[in-house]
Amino acid sequence: MKEFAPLLHGYWYLLRGAGMTVLMAAGSIVPATVCGVLLALAQVFGNQAVRSIVVAYLFLIRGIPLLVLLTFTYYLLPLTGIDLPPFWGVVMVFAFYYAAFMSEVFRAGILSLPRAQWDAARSLGMTQRLMLQIVIFPQALRLASPPFVSLCANLVKATSLVSIVGLWELTMASREIVERTLAPFQIFLGAAVVYFCICYTLALYGRYLERRVLQGH
Amino acid sequence: MVDISSDVSSRVIEPQTAVARRPMLAMDEVSKRFGSLEVLRNISLSVSAGEVVVVIGPSGSGKTTLLRCINMLEDYEKGIVVIDGEPIGYRPGATPDQRQRMSEREIAAAREHIGMVFQSYNLFPHMTVLHNVTAAPIRVKGVPRARAEERARELLAMVGLSDKMAEYPARLSGGQQQRVAIARALAMDPKIMLFDEVTSALDPELVGEVLAAMQELARAGMTMVVVTHEMSFARDIADRIVFMDGGVIVEQGKPDQLLFSPTTERVRAFLRRYNDRYRI
Repeated sequence: MKEFAPLLHGYWYLLRGAGMTVLMAAGSIVPATVCGVLLALAQVFGNQAVRSIVVAYLFLIRGIPLLVLLTFTYYLLPLTGIDLPPFWGVVMVFAFYYAAFMSEVFRAGILSLPRAQWDAARSLGMTQRLMLQIVIFPQALRLASPPFVSLCANLVKATSLVSIVGLWELTMASREIVERTLAPFQIFLGAAVVYFCICYTLALYGRYLERRVLQGH
Repeated sequence: MVDISSDVSSRVIEPQTAVARRPMLAMDEVSKRFGSLEVLRNISLSVSAGEVVVVIGPSGSGKTTLLRCINMLEDYEKGIVVIDGEPIGYRPGATPDQRQRMSEREIAAAREHIGMVFQSYNLFPHMTVLHNVTAAPIRVKGVPRARAEERARELLAMVGLSDKMAEYPARLSGGQQQRVAIARALAMDPKIMLFDEVTSALDPELVGEVLAAMQELARAGMTMVVVTHEMSFARDIADRIVFMDGGVIVEQGKPDQLLFSPTTERVRAFLRRYNDRYRI
């Protein structure tokens, strides 16, 4: 038990780092989801020009590692004269990056609904907008929720990359404690447990949501 | 050759039923193709108010496409469809080539008057039975919730499903789901109902309950266009049977005339094969 003394010593610091991680992840997931839905809609319903732009964006994002994009933006932003606090800069990068993947998740959800559901809604005189609102979205979101939750967990873990650009969060906090205590195994084990707990909570919440929306299926 | 017979039969037979009542559905020279395949070739069909028209024919003859063109679920290259005097899809121009496409909003509004029931029920799986029936009246027509629910209860009682209102579709049998689908379409108070092979996906012992609901509807004076493979049902319910093949109406007439003394060889061959199979 004595081996874990450094962890006991630094747990408060770790938890504060975890708080920062959660804040950053939550701050990114919300705009990423909104943009993801918009991109998915643009790809399903947009005209040829809109669709090409969206597809080009997806290919671009999918071809760049997140770490490269983070570092690039970190050096680019000051040159453009945009004075953004590092936290918001990072959130912006995460939002744009993950929006691309989320749009694919939502698009798959929308397209995997049987054509017959659209026919039924149309035959009842629904306009496109109403049909999306009460027939397509509720079902598409249910279909999209499992991959959506795993994407969110992925995002939580990806926030560990921001320690590279000097933002303080769970991984950065762990490294600082390690430097002081020289106990890397204990501290990073603690960090791993904290990351796991965040993602597991997310998965449980996703499962709960799914079950609630799933009612009747 | 087939084309000629369709022209002759429609001139000879149709006026007998259509003359007295106003036309509820008028399709005028509708043509539709999928790529190089002509699914509908210059189809003209008129259905008067209260009339029940059953469309039969081999698979691939264009029956389903015909129905889907009536409420513009399928776009068509040529022709006009009019429901109770109001065009849906295209407004006629000075010449057939000058027809004008209506806006999506106008088309949606026109669809309110056309109820449709599908082969695969197509209920909304995330809504209860009651919600399935009330959603469109409330959200599309703006009927107050209380009134919409009262009407839904009446309709569900009519199709014998009063005790299933709170269930989700997945918990119902195919026959029950199809009866809900009928109630859902009726809830919009349509002027005409389209039935697209509504019993084809059902277990044989569930077919009867759906056909009974349709019979009830026909008795109540609903204008109906029914695509079906149930010949004896067609004979019972139809005021007129239309036989389609290769995208044209080959022959049409009163049920007994068409089923027992058809004038074209094509219909005779079809019925011979059918009778060999089912012995009605």
